Amino acid sequence: MTRLTRRFFLTTTAAVALAAASFTMPGLSLAQDTPKTGGTLVATWGGFEPQAVFVPGGGGSSPLISSTKILEPLIRMDDNAEFFPVLATDVTASDDFTSYDITIRDGVTWHDGEPFTVDDVIYTVNEYWKPMVAGAALSNFTGIEKIDEKTVRMTFSKPTPEFFFKNVLATSLVLPEHIYAGTEIATNPINNTPVGTGPFKFKEWVRGSHIEYDKNEDYWDEGKPYLDGLVIRYWRDAASRAAAMEAGELKLGIFNPIPAPDIDRLTETDDFVATSDGYLGAAWASTIEFNSRNPIVDDPAVRKAILTAIDRALIADVVYFGRAKPGVSFVSSVNPIFHDPDLPKYDFDPEKAAEMLDAAGYPMKDGKRFTVDLLAAGWFEENGKVGQFVKQNLEDIGIEVNLKVPDRASSIKGIYNDYDYDIALSNHASQVEQVPRQTNYVTTDGIVKGAAFRNANGYSNPEMDELVNAMAIEVDEEKRVEMAHKMQEIIAEDLPITILVEMESTTVHADEVKGLEGRADISADSLSDVWLDD
Amino acid sequence: MARSASSQSLDHLYRFARNKGAVLGLIIIVIVFAAAIAAPWLIDRDPLRIVYRPEIWPFTNPKYPLGTDSLGRDILALILFGARTTLMISFAAAFTATILGVIIGAFAAWFGGWLDEVLTRLTELFQTIPNILMIMTVVAVLGQTIGNITFAIGITMWPPIARLTRAEYLALRDREFVLACRSMGMGNIRIMVTEILPNAIPPVIVLGSVIIGSSILFESSISFLGLGDPNVASWGALIGDGRTLIRRSWYICAIPGLAIMFTVLAMNLIGDGLNDALNPRLRDR
Repeated sequence: MTRLTRRFFLTTTAAVALAAASFTMPGLSLAQDTPKTGGTLVATWGGFEPQAVFVPGGGGSSPLISSTKILEPLIRMDDNAEFFPVLATDVTASDDFTSYDITIRDGVTWHDGEPFTVDDVIYTVNEYWKPMVAGAALSNFTGIEKIDEKTVRMTFSKPTPEFFFKNVLATSLVLPEHIYAGTEIATNPINNTPVGTGPFKFKEWVRGSHIEYDKNEDYWDEGKPYLDGLVIRYWRDAASRAAAMEAGELKLGIFNPIPAPDIDRLTETDDFVATSDGYLGAAWASTIEFNSRNPIVDDPAVRKAILTAIDRALIADVVYFGRAKPGVSFVSSVNPIFHDPDLPKYDFDPEKAAEMLDAAGYPMKDGKRFTVDLLAAGWFEENGKVGQFVKQNLEDIGIEVNLKVPDRASSIKGIYNDYDYDIALSNHASQVEQVPRQTNYVTTDGIVKGAAFRNANGYSNPEMDELVNAMAIEVDEEKRVEMAHKMQEIIAEDLPITILVEMESTTVHADEVKGLEGRADISADSLSDVWLDD
Repeated sequence: MARSASSQSLDHLYRFARNKGAVLGLIIIVIVFAAAIAAPWLIDRDPLRIVYRPEIWPFTNPKYPLGTDSLGRDILALILFGARTTLMISFAAAFTATILGVIIGAFAAWFGGWLDEVLTRLTELFQTIPNILMIMTVVAVLGQTIGNITFAIGITMWPPIARLTRAEYLALRDREFVLACRSMGMGNIRIMVTEILPNAIPPVIVLGSVIIGSSILFESSISFLGLGDPNVASWGALIGDGRTLIRRSWYICAIPGLAIMFTVLAMNLIGDGLNDALNPRLRDR
């Protein structure tokens, strides 16, 4: 259904896509689809209000969405995993990849009228990126210097791969030095009324309801944004968002805003469009991980048997209403660069799974083989349901399951601090680049007791550690892909963690909302190209 | 005092039966109990098993008369086994709360002084904490098992019982028959248990039946919020799982919702009947 919708979407709005893509192809635009200016867009996402409009340390999807309309990165990634300029017009690596020259855009001003300069970039890298957001990624970073009024040079002690480096630039926001200098960035009250260079200016935040933005009349990208105003409103539950869409109060919802069964109901009317484009930079998956501290599930043969016993296609169909598919590798299949499709698939076959367990030395005794604690992380309602499926599948082959579905805080504590599980059902949203965020799940460095969303299963394999270290400094992009494939092969063999099902994230919007195409991560997009066709 | 025990309980039964609502409530509770007891014979499998396609409407497939839920589990099985969970948790929790409340209330009233002061303050302290928050906190800390949920509801619901018991004991403490017992040299505990308790208990039983009703609601709320025990069937959990489908398959929420509504209503009706039967002041109403 979704694929069909997407195809329909592509063919009918290809012209719009081209028009929207004209920033990379100047001069190419079609008259009938010229974006219209004006109007205020009410948007939301499938979650709650942020803790602050901008959370410097990260803070999850909600503040990412609310802050990226105001603050901008140096470059962004498009839906082909290629980079395009934002605040930087050029990023060039030295021949040995130990330094990068960054040229910034001319004539950009902050929302308070101050000019954007290289000093802002130097301040941001030293005081914000290095200590707070990209520490691990910038571990070989040695310094940043001003070359001239428009250029800075970042230097590294070891070669730094270009895609890896640009990914850091594309996911890190630039802060105004004149506002933050001398203050504690994380606790500065300005984070609730941010000043940036983006297409929208902060207007007001009515807590418990919405954040309102005004158009930035002096935006550097001439003629944009097309909208006069933007409102991000928050609803407590998915069914109310669907009702708000039908009532015309809500035009755009990103990241699974409404219940899956309602998506078809809304799109059937032709007044609404659903698309799964724009989630390359945050590919969500439901994961299964095996705790190495339990000798039974530490055995790769048992892990393979368990995966073979789980009917993942049925989970994708029933729990996710078909908006998911069985995972193949630890790297999501939507990853256009690093995904390895040629891996053992562990298709559903309970009889084979039972034989595998017999062979592994766990025969049936008195109607069961062994007992496991299964922890399904309660932050998504679906996880509890997946837990029910997995429990049933495992009980069918004689594994007794004690299922727990704790709330968000207890799940994080149970998995990442207490390691109190044998099998955990969790989630992650992966970027295209694998180092370090994804590799943290499988490296020995990734084991940090109490730190969430990294290696919780205690997996430690020197071969893997070496491979990831090599990947972090390999500058040949093809070799990096080979290394990533090797990494996936090792994971598919040892199975410390893997993707159970790949979740399809969906954006639902009113038909009149145009210009959403071409982004790797719609959550982090500034919406400068969005317009209303009414 | 002259009447024999058997004619007194006949009298109670008569006055209970005169309350039509109470009889209806009793019938409903008997049915729920019967369902809970018969469940393993009627359904010969784990009620949480996924048996068929999800979202089969009631009365469309004779094999699954009440249809299937969002995961494809048999709703009839979930309702029958859910009755067990619900009755077990709510009766055990109300029993815990009543025992705890009676002990605390009786000691506070009988011994008075600083003990009364401490126990009354403790009771008030517990009453200031919103019940549902207290239960959620206890369950989140101890873990999501039936035992912990029962314990959490039990230790949250005792304050009204304690206050009522204390008031009854205070009223009875200085009555002649108690003074007589004292002058005969009876011990404190013996007077409290054998002499005062039988006279103080009727209103406590009435309140206890209402607390069973509230316990059912709390158990359902906890399960609805996803804090229930995922290894057992529960009416509240069924509603919680079905709520995103309310536009399309409202029966998933409606069927367990009706079960909860009728059971709680029945408990309250029984409470009314017990009040009629046990409250001497209403005898000639």
